[in-house]
Amino acid sequence: MQKEIKQMWFFNQSPQEVWEYLTKPELLEQWLMKTDFQPIVGHKFRFMTKPSHDCNYDKIIDCEVLEIEPFTKISYSWKGHSNNGKYSFDSKVIWTLIPLEDGTELQLVHNGFKVLEDFISHDSGWALIGSRLIELLKTTTNVNTTP
Amino acid sequence: MSTQPLNAFQAIADPSRRQILLMLSRDNMTINSLAENFDMSRPAVSKHVKMLYNAGFISITDIGRERYCTLKQDGFSELQDWINFFANFWKKKLQKLEDILNNKSKKK
Repeated sequence: MQKEIKQMWFFNQSPQEVWEYLTKPELLEQWLMKTDFQPIVGHKFRFMTKPSHDCNYDKIIDCEVLEIEPFTKISYSWKGHSNNGKYSFDSKVIWTLIPLEDGTELQLVHNGFKVLEDFISHDSGWALIGSRLIELLKTTTNVNTTP
Repeated sequence: MSTQPLNAFQAIADPSRRQILLMLSRDNMTINSLAENFDMSRPAVSKHVKMLYNAGFISITDIGRERYCTLKQDGFSELQDWINFFANFWKKKLQKLEDILNNKSKKK
């Protein structure tokens, strides 16, 4: 089972330029969400989706800046819940900028889905459970997929 | 007291329930045999089992007088769904950022 999200993107722009898009609210709004982010450790802020946006989660993400290393790294907490309030998540988003000769590599890690992380690090459980499930699925013919 | 079933994350937030899942990952077990591994009472273990059952992590089969617990995929799928949901979310957003930055460099 996958325990974190990791994505790498390459941009032709310099880390300084990409940094602006990660830290300036008016630029963040263009590609991510409306926000009152400030690049100050401990700053509590929110991301808000537009009302028309059809999403599986609530329209507000509560965040707190955890780390800032100018042009290099930003991390913040990422908390919210689904529209019906049934699912909640407490996670962490980490951006890392790596300068390259002809641009910037931007790395995103979204992890720490809190209890999930606890489970994985303390019990080494997922591998075991995963293999057990594969076994079970092989022997189960009528898997109930009703949501 | 809320009777609403726990969501997948809440269900595995408790160390005893994680322990139960881990034991079941090795083999199917009865509630009685699970209970032998815990200091708490059988009804307490049974309650945790019920919570895991409600959250879709296990299925329970009655064989004779025993209740056998087996891991079930639904609860785990729900956890995976969340991860997948955000993975797609970020992919879409970063694609948008890429488009913006590409357009910007073209204009220069």
